Amino acid sequence: MLEIKNLHATIGGKEILKGIDLVVRPGEIHALMGQNGAGKSTLSNVLVGNPSYTVTEGSIRFNGKDLLAMSPDERAHEGLFLSFQQPVEIPGVSMVNFMRAALNAKRKYLGLEPLDAGSFLKLMREKRKIVELDSKLTSRSVNEGFSGGEKKRNEIFQMAMLEPTLSILDETDSGLDVDALRIVAEGFNKLRTPETSAIVITHYQRLLDYLKPDIVHVLIDGRIVRTGGPGLAAEIERRGFDWVREES
Amino acid sequence: MKETAQYIDFFRSERQRIDSGSLPVLNARRDEAAAAFERLGFPSQKVERYKYTDVAAAFAPNYGIQLQNAPSAPGAPSDLAAKAGVPTSSPSAASTVDEAPADLVSRLYGTLADVNADAITALNTMLVQDLLLVHVPAGTTREHPVQITYQLHSSAPLMQNRRLLIVAEPGARVQVILNEKADAQQDFLVTQVTEVFVGAGAQVEVYDIESTHDRFHRFHQFFAEVAQDGRLTHTAFTLAGGLSRNQTDVRLSGQGASANLLGCAITDGCQHVDNNTLIDHLAPGCRSHELYKYVVDQQSTGAFAGRVLVREQAQQTDSEERNANLVCTDQARMWTQPMLEIYADDVKCSHGSTVGQLNAEALFYMRQRGISEPDARMLLKQAFAAEVINNIPLKALQQRLHILVEKRFRSCEDCRLCKK
Repeated sequence: MLEIKNLHATIGGKEILKGIDLVVRPGEIHALMGQNGAGKSTLSNVLVGNPSYTVTEGSIRFNGKDLLAMSPDERAHEGLFLSFQQPVEIPGVSMVNFMRAALNAKRKYLGLEPLDAGSFLKLMREKRKIVELDSKLTSRSVNEGFSGGEKKRNEIFQMAMLEPTLSILDETDSGLDVDALRIVAEGFNKLRTPETSAIVITHYQRLLDYLKPDIVHVLIDGRIVRTGGPGLAAEIERRGFDWVREES
Repeated sequence: MKETAQYIDFFRSERQRIDSGSLPVLNARRDEAAAAFERLGFPSQKVERYKYTDVAAAFAPNYGIQLQNAPSAPGAPSDLAAKAGVPTSSPSAASTVDEAPADLVSRLYGTLADVNADAITALNTMLVQDLLLVHVPAGTTREHPVQITYQLHSSAPLMQNRRLLIVAEPGARVQVILNEKADAQQDFLVTQVTEVFVGAGAQVEVYDIESTHDRFHRFHQFFAEVAQDGRLTHTAFTLAGGLSRNQTDVRLSGQGASANLLGCAITDGCQHVDNNTLIDHLAPGCRSHELYKYVVDQQSTGAFAGRVLVREQAQQTDSEERNANLVCTDQARMWTQPMLEIYADDVKCSHGSTVGQLNAEALFYMRQRGISEPDARMLLKQAFAAEVINNIPLKALQQRLHILVEKRFRSCEDCRLCKK
């Protein structure tokens, strides 16, 4: 599904990713762990085509296509979704208009007719329940005045609406209390299918307890230095990152 | 200056025709106006209030000047009773003839619009053909808005000079919507002078909506006086046009009077929109609120200059002025000049302006969700303009404007003028 080869990327002339190799197959959940500045968020931004980042070397193929040749919106239509670490507030753009524009753009890309107003609102209602998102929130402007937890739930709600095949959760657990974390994680699990995959970026074990990754990677200084099973995450929780750095 | 002379010469040689198609009350003021206009001449850009617009260039071409009253359909809500020799129409009862005092027009006409202070006002007063009066008797509420639509069509270049007089007697309430339209791709030049008298405790809302084209030149001089506890709302909405200059002067002359000035301009191509406002706090305890927003695209230019004057006697003034602008390209230009002049010592006043681009983070967030870049830009621009619309008290007009703005941005993105 996703095949990253020798990926190098910079922001503002500074090299952050220094040769990433990663393969994600359908149905797999990968955890990406590492300290601040290791390059986790850079990798997620590069994957979704954030124009602030420059790829200097390497390739990314997504479902056999050259991902780096696609615009951010094409990547989304192809099934890529990023749950942002800090979702942006967009005053004046209602959640309804925003979601309708996004969903209908995807349907157009897939050669489908736009959804009529009634079916669209019905879909919004159904998907909202997955993350217990209040209807008051979906009638507001995008993320405006949402609490930290509500913003993260809103990310998973959007994921439910758009049904991506590869989701990247960038520190979706940060700023969440125990209950909100459970709601977000359970919402995510409800959306899983044998065909959908995810890359979960986190510092902590607690989100992984819910999501149960198949493969865990440790990112240090722009490279994946260690890859293992779920046990690796537990070991990092117990021992920190320093031993990985020393052993690599 | 030859541009000024062109109009003076026309006035002198055509005086008889000008007078014959018009009302005595209008004819009586022409000589004074002509003298003032000749003395003032078209303002150069060294004149403070006109520094952002080249007035002489706009008036230089030889337009045909309309010397007949505008055709009006009898019985229509915007009927000009002027044709029948009664220069009044009573919006409280559109079907009945005039209830306004006979001397109302001669008493009020030209008292706010001072020909000696402004050349365009003088020119308009010199050449004006049509006067429309909206009169609301004391204590009367006009249930539905009065809609006045100016729709110009002509097979040759055309200049039109017109007047609007709105009189709300004490306690009266009225909403007036002005639609400026043109259905021919022709060079048009319009001067309009509007005088609004808001009586004690009266409420007047004026919505001035321009939706014309790039060959349309429009100068609107708007003057209002608000008496004790009166309330004025004025909206200058430029959806499309060529050159638009709106000068909005409000005198808050009675204690507790208030003015709410809203403006929005959406510009592209080679459009130019200049809003120049003056709110004069003459009495204590008055409030003024001002919000103007511009979306300036392609090679277009926008200007906003808003002066709030708080006189010595205007204690407990509460005034807020804000101008926010989105400049969408490297070639687009925006000038902004909020001005606050305070001579009283117990007031609460604020003013500010911002000029910026679309939020790159918001754009990217939307694109990650699959929204194309043009659509994401359009949604953000619409959201920006929506703040002005949402402040409009007339709900039905809010909905209409949301739709018109969306349409406007869609065609703007589609036509790709900037790439030709």
